[in-house]
Amino acid sequence: MQFSGWLGKGGMIAGIVFLNSACSAQYPTEPPRTVQIQQAWQLQPGDTIGGHQVVAGLGDISIDLKGDGAYAPFGGQVQPLKPDVKNCVVFSSPEIPAYLFRLCGLQNLKLGEVEQGDVIGSGAYLHFATLRKQTDGTWAMVEPAHDILERILRSL
Amino acid sequence: MTHPEISFPSSKLLLIAALLLPLVVILMIDLRTGSSGRMPRRTETCQGAVSEGVIISREQLAEFLTISERDPRTRVEEVLKAPYCQLPGLSVRAGATAERLVYPLAFDPKTWLIVLYEEDEYAGYRFLIQ
Repeated sequence: MQFSGWLGKGGMIAGIVFLNSACSAQYPTEPPRTVQIQQAWQLQPGDTIGGHQVVAGLGDISIDLKGDGAYAPFGGQVQPLKPDVKNCVVFSSPEIPAYLFRLCGLQNLKLGEVEQGDVIGSGAYLHFATLRKQTDGTWAMVEPAHDILERILRSL
Repeated sequence: MTHPEISFPSSKLLLIAALLLPLVVILMIDLRTGSSGRMPRRTETCQGAVSEGVIISREQLAEFLTISERDPRTRVEEVLKAPYCQLPGLSVRAGATAERLVYPLAFDPKTWLIVLYEEDEYAGYRFLIQ
């Protein structure tokens, strides 16, 4: 009975180690996307001022998410931002040319290819911005319309 | 009245857990690899009339790619002509309705060129692979 006891314990430890490595496994890390914003405002999300972090900037709409999920409005791609802005990702979709969507404030992010309706992340607040491609290759912050934001907030 | 104690040797319990745990892990891996690295399925379908046989050539595509975002839409229409179909209209930015037109590529019909217009302006393009 001593033997099976040790076997059991060993098996559990092996299982836990395996589980841990599988969960933080080397899934290909999503390379960040460079987004050059046309409006060169001084303060951007991720900046630190007065010892505190800026979480949303001019052009963001802040939603009281209360821990709910933010859903992919269409099939597309979720990428981290370059320059690196903590807790901000960019969502793009081949079904919506000329536009990018910046989502800040989410945790438990799903990076990479996503299907419509997949949870991109969840959090207390979502800071949402819509960016439109300009002729010079930069992206301008524009006023978001209801459609996309509705889809992001509601599980269809 | 005494309830009979169901005693289960703790060592047997550990053994069962040890055997089941890797199985759980394997299931989790399968589910996760299943959902990552997969191209998103096309979610939008053509709305209204579909013009079968509309395709664009390499030459048309090459010329189209020289057109800048925010140029007048007539520039694009001259090159690409009438689309295969339209995707449902959409409002991405307040005050503007976006039209999305579909042009399958002649040399790769599973790839669709999606062109977005807002009013009289060409906004941009993406490729959508079926």
